[in-house]
Amino acid sequence: MSHKWGLVVDLDRCTGCEACVVACRAENNIPTVSQDQAAMGRTMQWIRVERTWEGDFPNPKVRFQPVLCQQCDDAPCESVCPTYASYHTEEGLNGQAYNRCIGTRFCANACPYTVRSFNYYNPSWDRPLNLQLNPDVSVRSVGIMEKCTFCVQRIKSAEIQAEAEKRNLKDGDFTTACAQSCASKALIFGDLHDPSSEVARLASSNRGTKLLGELGTKPNVTYLERGT
Amino acid sequence: MNVLYALYADPENAQRAIDALHAASSELHFDQRQIVIVSGEPHESYAFANSDTSTRPYGWAVFGGAVGAICGYLLTTLTQKAYPIYTGGMSITPAWTNGIIIYELTMLGAILTTLITLLRGAGLPNFKGVIKDPEIWLGKILVGVANPPESSQLELETCLLQAGASEIKQFSRASH
Amino acid sequence: MQRTAEQIEQAELRPTSGMNRAAEEIEKDLLRPIFTSSTKYKVAVALSGSLVLAGVAAFAYQLYTGIGVWGLNSPVFWAFDITNFVFWIGISHAGTLISAILRLCHAQWRRPVTRCAEAITVFALIIGGIVPLCHIGRPWLGYWMIPYPSERLIWPNFRSPLMWDCFAIFTYLTGSTTFLYLPTIPDFAAVRDASSGLRKRIYSLLALGWQGTPRQWQRLETAMHIMAIVIVPVAVSVHTIVSWDFSMTLVPMWHTTIFGPYFVVGAIFSGIAALILAMALLRRFLHLEAYLKPIHFDNLGKLLLTFSLLWFYFVFCEFLTTWYGNAPPEMTVLRENISQHFAPLFWIMVFCNFLLPVPLLSRKKLRTITGTAIASCTVVVGMWLERFLIIVPALDRKFLSYSWGSYRPTWVEDTLMASGFGLMALLYLLFSKAVPMISIWEMKVGLQPHGGGIITKVSAIPQPHAIMVLEGPLPTDEPE
Repeated sequence: MSHKWGLVVDLDRCTGCEACVVACRAENNIPTVSQDQAAMGRTMQWIRVERTWEGDFPNPKVRFQPVLCQQCDDAPCESVCPTYASYHTEEGLNGQAYNRCIGTRFCANACPYTVRSFNYYNPSWDRPLNLQLNPDVSVRSVGIMEKCTFCVQRIKSAEIQAEAEKRNLKDGDFTTACAQSCASKALIFGDLHDPSSEVARLASSNRGTKLLGELGTKPNVTYLERGT
Repeated sequence: MNVLYALYADPENAQRAIDALHAASSELHFDQRQIVIVSGEPHESYAFANSDTSTRPYGWAVFGGAVGAICGYLLTTLTQKAYPIYTGGMSITPAWTNGIIIYELTMLGAILTTLITLLRGAGLPNFKGVIKDPEIWLGKILVGVANPPESSQLELETCLLQAGASEIKQFSRASH
Repeated sequence: MQRTAEQIEQAELRPTSGMNRAAEEIEKDLLRPIFTSSTKYKVAVALSGSLVLAGVAAFAYQLYTGIGVWGLNSPVFWAFDITNFVFWIGISHAGTLISAILRLCHAQWRRPVTRCAEAITVFALIIGGIVPLCHIGRPWLGYWMIPYPSERLIWPNFRSPLMWDCFAIFTYLTGSTTFLYLPTIPDFAAVRDASSGLRKRIYSLLALGWQGTPRQWQRLETAMHIMAIVIVPVAVSVHTIVSWDFSMTLVPMWHTTIFGPYFVVGAIFSGIAALILAMALLRRFLHLEAYLKPIHFDNLGKLLLTFSLLWFYFVFCEFLTTWYGNAPPEMTVLRENISQHFAPLFWIMVFCNFLLPVPLLSRKKLRTITGTAIASCTVVVGMWLERFLIIVPALDRKFLSYSWGSYRPTWVEDTLMASGFGLMALLYLLFSKAVPMISIWEMKVGLQPHGGGIITKVSAIPQPHAIMVLEGPLPTDEPE
């Protein structure tokens, strides 16, 4: 059976440290925008940690929720792209083909989670940060839409390795940058079609919910509700 | 091309002239198709302006629409099947969305066909043999005969004058 | 002699200036702008031309630096660009209503108005077609939306509303251009026969060797009839498809079924307003007072009033159902519009589209040329605001509150918008120079005793018919 990639976010374990945000940025060559651009609302974060407060002094509660591309099965962003830049892969990913993107920004409007980032300018990295760029991931130029890909370069690399070694991929062979960097193991990545994988087990937990699930987008990211 | 004609300010007189020419066509040895009528506006209330009541353009427009619909169907379905890419949980060839493209191409087909049937039906473009007389644009109707036989010219002139024209004119243009 | 209502209407519609205007006068008046141009015309062309150049410069700057020079951000990915796009496509619905629908209804008062209207349609469509090419992030690749066998081994995605836009606008543009060009052929022939030299050669080409035989006139009328029937569904589909750019997404207050008819009504509404403005300006500057008469503005004013009421009906339906349903995502956007950030713009829009035009246009005394022109100005502003308020507040406040944002336009967007208006003015001015703005042959047909309306069965010798002009008090049967 083919793979179906999924992610589980355990909200009980998330401490809001944003290590995932930094790791994602480093792995995927995400540009850093200037202060002015950030004030305008053009920060580029493929994964962001949303922090909300509940309750009042003296006992306010803070909640952290990492939000990233939900890799929806019925993605509203895919049908609206006129050039098939946003499309569905056979392994259940919502693919983004940078080469095909002409920058209509329809997909970003259609996405209910607002997880897509647009390159309003050509990105640049001050020296020597340009030496830190990941050679496995293309650098996007102006006018191209980008978003979380579940580190598809790592997926492909692992699949090729497994095929070369004439074996099947097993759970734990590789993981996404965000899941790899999470100190409290709040992010679990894996193959939902592999019954022995941790993500398949957790995704069917009775604590599991989907973000904006009532919209019918069928996301592949499952959030495990907080117990406290 | 050599046209012998008269100008009429009143469409009634023009109609009379045309009727007279029709009646005299056989005895004056010219064909009814040689009768030339030119005006600066259509005069739909008169018989001479209603000689061609063909409904073929409508049929052609429907045909053009059908051709457009088929083109739309082929364009959407064949290209979607050729490089099948899934998006948004929809099927590869969704009928609703393809239907919109098919509808637009149907209308485009009808429009283009109408344009072509007009050009062909009106004999356009036609840069040779255009009769020029400035009075046409001032509301007068030109009625005459193209290339009339020499022998009948006098009778023709009488015919045209009787219907109410003030003068007879001639238009000559070297034919290519 | 007692005058019938028909005779009075015919008399009112006939161009006058104190005496019968024969075909000769019509010819002279309507061809005059082609052969002469005043200083005011040249100044107007220079001004609108410089606006267009400013827009080109701004766009070049944008291409060089990046689309970041606009005010767009996350989540507001569309703002002025799509507002202008929808606005211009909306304006383009003027021609269809006036030309096609009134033609099909045999309304005689449409005669002097059709070409002005159709010209607005074609030029507004051209501008509306240029805007999307300027707004995409990589405009030099815009041609990928054209379906052609490419070596990238991929065709466009026909499931996308943007592709429907392409096809719809292309079809409508082709249809409108045909609809504009066909009845202009006889007028091009008139200009051809009145000119000499290079001008004569150009107009000969444009006139395609038109002669004016009965067969040609019949075929032309048939073609116009077919075009009128075909272009109306095309126009309805175009703005419906444009509205589907929004309603096909799940965005709160975008995902509503009312958008299709709502946008079509709004489009025709703004189109009529633009037409009234264009006609008022033409009347003044081309001295067409004898042809574009108060009755035309009166009738168009009545249409504008009807559409203002229709527009308000649609807006009321949409807002009431949203408010009553009380769903949180939609209520957030609704409150943004009615009472929070966008409240000033929202209430200005309601004033411009409904509160001012309805009282102004309901009273016959106020439905003058000036009155309808004022109402039209406010409607054009109000409809632009309406498009803006549909797009930005909804994107501002999508589902997840963490990603809410705001929007402010930059000078580049302002310049591009102004140059859109400049381009419209420029194209219209150039058109009025090259083509008679009022259809000469259709005006002459209007002069005919039967008004050139319904084709009647012909008698060889028709009854004599007196042509009268409305001048002075009506004659009555009562003895003095």
